[in-house]
Amino acid sequence: MSLIPRRPPPPAGSAPPPSRRGMLLGAGALALGSALGATGCSPGSGDAQVRFWSLFQGGDGARVETMLEAVHEQAPHLRVTSSTLAWGPPYYTKLAVASVGGRAPETAILHMSRLPGYAPGGLLQPFDLDLLAEFGVTAEDFVPDLWDRCIHDGATYAIPMDTHPVVLFYDTGTADRAGLLDGDGRLTGMDSPEGFVEASRALAEAGGGGGVSFGHVNDDSQGWRLFWMLYNQTGASLELPEGGPAGLDREAALRVFEFLAEVFDGQTSEPNQAYPTALAAFASGRSGMLISGEWELPYLMDHVEDLGAAPFPTVFEQPGSYADSHAFVLPRQGDPDPERVRAAHEFVALMVRNSLTWGEAGHIPAYSPVAQSPEYQALTPQSDYAVAGETPVLDPEVWFAGAGSQFHTDVSQALRIALTGNGPEAAVEELGLTLDSWAARTDPGGA
Amino acid sequence: MSALTGSPARPDTGAEHPPDPPGALTRGRRRFADSPLVFLLPFLLVYGVFLLWPLVSGLWMSFTDIALNGAGGAFVGLENYAEALGDPLVWRTLGNTVLFTLITTVPLVVVALAMSVLVHTGLPGQWLWRLSFFLPFLLPVATVVLVWNFLYVEDFGLFNSVLGLFGMEGLGWLTDEGVAMWSVALTTVWWTVGFNFLLYLAALQSVPAHLYEAAALDGAGAWARLRYVTLPQLRGTTVVVLLLQMLASLKVFDQIYLLTGGGPGDSTRSLLLYIYDVGFTGYRFGYGAAVSYLFLVLVLGVAAFQLWISARRRG
Repeated sequence: MSLIPRRPPPPAGSAPPPSRRGMLLGAGALALGSALGATGCSPGSGDAQVRFWSLFQGGDGARVETMLEAVHEQAPHLRVTSSTLAWGPPYYTKLAVASVGGRAPETAILHMSRLPGYAPGGLLQPFDLDLLAEFGVTAEDFVPDLWDRCIHDGATYAIPMDTHPVVLFYDTGTADRAGLLDGDGRLTGMDSPEGFVEASRALAEAGGGGGVSFGHVNDDSQGWRLFWMLYNQTGASLELPEGGPAGLDREAALRVFEFLAEVFDGQTSEPNQAYPTALAAFASGRSGMLISGEWELPYLMDHVEDLGAAPFPTVFEQPGSYADSHAFVLPRQGDPDPERVRAAHEFVALMVRNSLTWGEAGHIPAYSPVAQSPEYQALTPQSDYAVAGETPVLDPEVWFAGAGSQFHTDVSQALRIALTGNGPEAAVEELGLTLDSWAARTDPGGA
Repeated sequence: MSALTGSPARPDTGAEHPPDPPGALTRGRRRFADSPLVFLLPFLLVYGVFLLWPLVSGLWMSFTDIALNGAGGAFVGLENYAEALGDPLVWRTLGNTVLFTLITTVPLVVVALAMSVLVHTGLPGQWLWRLSFFLPFLLPVATVVLVWNFLYVEDFGLFNSVLGLFGMEGLGWLTDEGVAMWSVALTTVWWTVGFNFLLYLAALQSVPAHLYEAAALDGAGAWARLRYVTLPQLRGTTVVVLLLQMLASLKVFDQIYLLTGGGPGDSTRSLLLYIYDVGFTGYRFGYGAAVSYLFLVLVLGVAAFQLWISARRRG
C-alpha cells in the first residue's frame, strides 16, 4: 500500500502508470515469490531443508543454538530452521496437531516417556538405521535400556540425545558444616530414610534456614517424579493393565509418602513450595539442598558459589533416579520428500555427535562416544552425578504417561495431599483411584 | 478517499460511453456490485468461517469420539453428554467457575462504582486518577501475571513481607487451596476494574447537571444527592456492567492458566481450563466439545437473562 505514494511521478509522454490494482497484484506476487524462496520451495536449489522443533528455553536453548552452529559448520548444505516452543502440555498438543495435518517439522524433540503415546498412533515415522549408520550413529552407541524404549513394533522411532535425571544439589559449605561430606567431599550417610531425615535436619541447623527444598505445588510433574523414583527404589512394581484396575503396591506407596512427610515436616523443610520458590530458596542460600532435575545446573552454577551435585541417594532398597530422555523423532509428513528425510537423518546424527555441548548444560549425553569421552568426564559437577544415568527410573510404558501429560498432572496431586493435605494414607488412596481411572481409559489417539 | 473522488466521476463515464446494451450478464453484475452484499461479504465470510462453521462442526464433534490426532470419529450419540453430567470434575470446575464469577463480579462492580464516584466528585488531579485506575486494564495478561506472581511469592513477596511487618504469618497465596482462588480474583479485580470504572465515569458525566441543582435547591446534601440522584441515574449502567462482567468472569482462563495452572489440587481449575485439559492435553476432542456445549447452555442462559432485563427496561 505504501508503494503508491512513494512512486515517482511518471515522465511526460511515457506509458500510463500502472493501475492501483496492478500495483497491488504485482506487490502480492513479489511477496509470494519471496515467501516461497524463504521456505526453500524453489526447485533445484540443491539445499535440503530441515525444520526442527524443540522445547528448550533458557540455558538449554542457548546450548541448542551452539549445537546448531556446529552442525551448520560441519554440514553447510543442511538448511536448518529451528523453532523453540514453550515446554509442557502445549508443546505436545502442537506437535500432535502438526503431525495430524501432515505439515509437521522434519524433526522434533520428544520426551522418551511420551513415545508410547505417539508411536502407535501413527504420528511418527521410524528412523532408517542404515541411513543413520551412514552418518556415524548406530544402536551400539547407546545405553541398551534407553535404546529399548525407542523401539515400537520392531521399528526405531526415537534417537535419544540425553538422559536427564533428578539429582541432589547442595551447598558444599553448608553440607560440610552439617557433617554430611566424607573425606573426598562426597555426600554420605543419606542412604536410608532415617539418614536422609537426619541429614535434612542437620542441614537446616547448619544453614540457619531450610534443610531440603523441593518445589511441587502447582507443578505438572514434580510430585510424580519424586514419588515414582522412591517407589521404584523400594523395588515395588506398578501394573497398569489395559482396562484396569491398576496394581499399586499400597504398602510401598505408603512408605514413600510417610518418608517424604517426615522430611518435609514444615519445621526444617517446607512442604508447600512451588517450583520457582524452591529454586530461589536454594539459589539464595536459604536452604542447603535442592531436589531437582539436573536441567537447573546452568542456572545454579551462576548463582551458587559452592555448588555440589550428587545422584539421588538410595534411600530404600535399590538405586534409581527418576529420569527422562530428550529424543529426536521424525513426525509424520503428509508428503515425505526423500531428500528431506535423508537430511533429517544427517541432522539428527550430527546433533547427537555434537552433544558434548549438551552435557555442559547438565544433561548426560546418551551417545556413548560422547559420554565416555575425556572431555565429558572432565566436566564437574556433571561427572559427579553421571552415574545416575545408569539406573534410570523411566515413566511407566503406557500411552497416557510421560512428560507434559495430563496423567502427570493428575498423579502429581498425591504428594501434595501427603504433605499439606490429609496425610500419607489419604495420598495413597487418592493415587490408587487416579491410577485406576487412567488404566480404565482407552487411548483416544490409538489406531 | 477514493470513494469520494470516484463517485462524481461516475456520471462522466456514463456520458462518454454509449449506455450498456441491456444484457442480462452486465445487468446482473451491476446489480451485484451495487448491492450491500459486496460490503457485507468480507464480514460474512469471516463470520461464517470462524464462527458459524466451528459452531456447527463443534456440535457434531460432541456426538463423536474423535481425538485431537484425528483418531476415532465414530458417532456415539449422547454418550459424551451423559459422561459429562456424571463427571465429578465437571461439577467441581463448574463450581470453581461460579465461585470465581461471584467473588470477582461483586467487587468489580462495587469498586468501579466507588472509584468513579470519587474521581467524579472532584478529587484533585483527576487525570492522574483516571489514568492510574484505567492503566492496568491495558496490560496484557502475561505481564499482569508476571508482576503478581512476584507479589505473591511466599518467602520474599511483597504481600507476605507486609504481613510480616505486622507480625502476622505469611499466606500461601497461590499454594494454599483455601487462598489461591481469592488471589486469582484479587489479581483479576486489579487488572480489569478500570474498564467498569470508565463505563461508570462516562455514565456519571452524562447525569444532567440540573438534577443536582434541583436537589441542592431542595436542600439535599452531598450524601442525599448521591443516594437519590446519582445512584438511580446509574442503574442502567449497573445492569450492563453486571451482565458483561458475569459473562467475562464465566469464561475465565488466561490468568488462572498462567498463575496456578488450575492448582493447587483442582482448587482454581475453571471449567474452561478443564475443557482445555481434556480436549487438548488429553486429546479427547469429542468429550471436550460436549462439555463446551453444556457450558454454552449456561452462558446462553445468562445472556438471555440480560436480553430480558434490557427488554424490560425499554418496555
